[in-house]
Amino acid sequence: MSEHPRELIRDLLDGTISDEDLQAIQRAPKDPGRRETVIELEQERVDWDDPIVVCLQEALYVVRKAPGEYVTKCRCGHEFGDAARNWKDSAAVIEREGETEYFVGPRAADPDWMVLREFYCPGCATRLDVEVVPPGYPFIHNFEPVLPDD
Amino acid sequence: MEAQTLTPEQTQAPFQLKRRLEERTERFARTGSYVDELTLWEEDPIRFELLYTKLSQVVANAHEVARLVSASPMTRELGELIFGLYTPEGDAVCLSHGLIVHVHTISRMIKWMIANDYEEKMGFKPGDLYFNNDPHIGGAHALDQMIVTPIYAGDELIGWSAGLTHVPEVGATAPGGFDSYFTTRFHEGLYLPCVKIGENDELRPDMEILVERSTRTPVYWLTDNRAKVTGALMIRDAVLELVEEFGLEYFKRAGEEFIEDSLRAAKRKIASVLAPGTYREVAWRGSPIPGEERLLHAPVELTVREDGSIHLSFDGLSSNFWQPFQGSLSCLEGLVMNGLIQHVLYDSKHNEGTLLAATMEVPVGTCCNPDSILYPTTLWGPAYGAGLAVGQALSRAYYAAGYREEVHATSALSSGYTAGGTDQYGRSFGAHNMEFGAAGMPATAVHDGLDTSGVEFNPEGDMGDAEIWEQMLPSIYLAREMRMDGGGAGKFRGGNGIQSVYMLNNTSDIEVGSFGSVPIYPSPGLMGGLPAATLYMWTGKNTNLRELIEEGKPLPAGEGPDPAHPEFVERVEGDWQVHHGSNKATEPMRPYDMFTAVSGDGGGYGDSLDRDPQLVARDVREGRTSARAAREEYCVALTEDGEVDTEGTERLRAERRRERLERALPAEEYKRRARERLTEGRVSAPVRRMYNDLLENNERFAQRMREFWGLPEDFLVPGGDDREGGR
Repeated sequence: MSEHPRELIRDLLDGTISDEDLQAIQRAPKDPGRRETVIELEQERVDWDDPIVVCLQEALYVVRKAPGEYVTKCRCGHEFGDAARNWKDSAAVIEREGETEYFVGPRAADPDWMVLREFYCPGCATRLDVEVVPPGYPFIHNFEPVLPDD
Repeated sequence: MEAQTLTPEQTQAPFQLKRRLEERTERFARTGSYVDELTLWEEDPIRFELLYTKLSQVVANAHEVARLVSASPMTRELGELIFGLYTPEGDAVCLSHGLIVHVHTISRMIKWMIANDYEEKMGFKPGDLYFNNDPHIGGAHALDQMIVTPIYAGDELIGWSAGLTHVPEVGATAPGGFDSYFTTRFHEGLYLPCVKIGENDELRPDMEILVERSTRTPVYWLTDNRAKVTGALMIRDAVLELVEEFGLEYFKRAGEEFIEDSLRAAKRKIASVLAPGTYREVAWRGSPIPGEERLLHAPVELTVREDGSIHLSFDGLSSNFWQPFQGSLSCLEGLVMNGLIQHVLYDSKHNEGTLLAATMEVPVGTCCNPDSILYPTTLWGPAYGAGLAVGQALSRAYYAAGYREEVHATSALSSGYTAGGTDQYGRSFGAHNMEFGAAGMPATAVHDGLDTSGVEFNPEGDMGDAEIWEQMLPSIYLAREMRMDGGGAGKFRGGNGIQSVYMLNNTSDIEVGSFGSVPIYPSPGLMGGLPAATLYMWTGKNTNLRELIEEGKPLPAGEGPDPAHPEFVERVEGDWQVHHGSNKATEPMRPYDMFTAVSGDGGGYGDSLDRDPQLVARDVREGRTSARAAREEYCVALTEDGEVDTEGTERLRAERRRERLERALPAEEYKRRARERLTEGRVSAPVRRMYNDLLENNERFAQRMREFWGLPEDFLVPGGDDREGGR
């Protein structure tokens, strides 16, 4: 298991860790049980019981539904289907050209060159990914984890 | 530092280096290891590590002394230099701090000389000084200049010592060596590809004359040569003392074992801290050449294997052609090695073993591995973004392994300005300002990116003193500010970079240009975070600045809170123009003309609605986030006193979530519409040219497009007559 106190890892996940503690963790040799500790802590945070197998990214997990059956699931409980597929194929998508709430004037890219493609969870509207791509670019499949054979 | 003397045995020695290099390469390909056993380490690990520690001190000492010998702000102020010790075959053994992107590029130079029979044709001798700034051999552009010298123990060449600095002027067609409109190598200035510029520890005077008569400001190049020679000779002399102390055979064997030790440590660490899997990112840049505008594609596929090895595929890179945004293979390798060291292998010995842990696939004929040395490479092309994307891919692998403290979005892709002409002292000059060494850093999974702090290619980068830049270039700072809202928004925001406003002063003739990117988002966010803001440069010609100064009127103090209506444009009359993306061709300007430059900012992390409202309020108070962004992007309601209105914030955020789902399309419907747009050719020429180049020249990409969109075998994006592809 993790060699750092469990509470410290919880603070790390919450983003509330102090600069001193964060630097101590960054300087220390990596604790071999971290993955399991993080999965346990993440499992405590969600309201559902499917066992987390991989913390895929912020707000998304790969969970085991049955032996050998894995799906991508949001923290809110929304399921994106087979974990072997790109979860973006089941997301809600907004494509933005030019200015947005954040990018005004020349801070925004020229839509002749690039658009923002935002992927949302259809369940809780969390913004899960933002691609910077030209129109017509295939969805980027960012991560294909190695899943257990069971 | 006494010059070593050539012995009769050396002049008659058979040519061995090429054979040894070939054997070493073949051996690694066959066994996957540099040496079989770490025998010295097993016999006495303390002695083994003691030698490495002493070598580390030797190269660090050379770095620090050379920095003080140089007269260039790039070297003195920004720390754009590195020193190292190499094996006889050219593999890095031990490196100083500094520009670690060049660990491998110097190695390429030495190997190129060996492979091209320099040992036979030139006859390596003690005290030889070889110079290279050809990035197709080693380095990243003509501005990166390296000097190596052989180290002889008696009759035997036992290694090389080397130094590299980045100089600000190389005699290119545009001053300062960086230009966003170079279309051939011949625009890029003076290339000296593996040229012997000195013998017996002395620099050749005729080579100095060559530089003096070929560049606008030769002092930086020439004093940097002295700095590099000083450091390289310091290393050589110290190494010979260590050979005396440890014994020749021990020293030679230890060099090889240090590399094997690094390779093993790299594999162990990768296997223990990165989750196995396949990771993909995409980086972009573009050609701004009129009539040849084209988006440039740089996909990165990182495979982390359970044995701790890494494979990086860049298959799908855009083709090379006559445009400025190309990078050499050496440059891409350097950036990948830089990424691996900074993000994963920062706690092990940095040497050739670091890169041996990774295999790379970079197709020839692309803008990161050009098939002709005639293509320009100054601006690194999409290799820059691809190197940064490797860091983001590694972050996903850290995330899945639980090590959130190592997770970050994409670092800043920087930009800056160049100028040349006559300076305030009446001298010819050419240079670029490199304050972009202190760009905004990316957001991490646990805190905001640091503002105005560094760049990935030089972790020790600094913005430099404004007064030094004003001394080097006849441009006065009217403002040097943090670029509010520059970093990508998110749960944790990207760091804001620097933005400066300049006034030209006291020059009889000057031309100014800028390099950055086409108007794209230069640095993506991670896991829901927004990208960093698009780069740009403003120029104001024929201003009334002189009148404002004489009348004592207020001068602009920055961009102000609204980038759409900058304060300097509002306050100063003139012919203002924005160069979107920050690429601007070099052109004459005059005293009291104004311009701006931006360093680049970091990508954001996570959904902006997950950001702690108190952090948003703090950032508004400190001028890091605008009140507009607080309300519109973060959906944080602030009271008149700047405090968080909790209920108002909850209301705004709930409303935004509703709006998102009302506006969003299910992926299937989105894809149907996007496919229709693509097949009808309703995309711009730069995008169409990018797609059609890849559809014609890259089968893997073409297959991916056909499968994803359900396209016919011979599909090309319709519209225009530019079906020429890239080659």
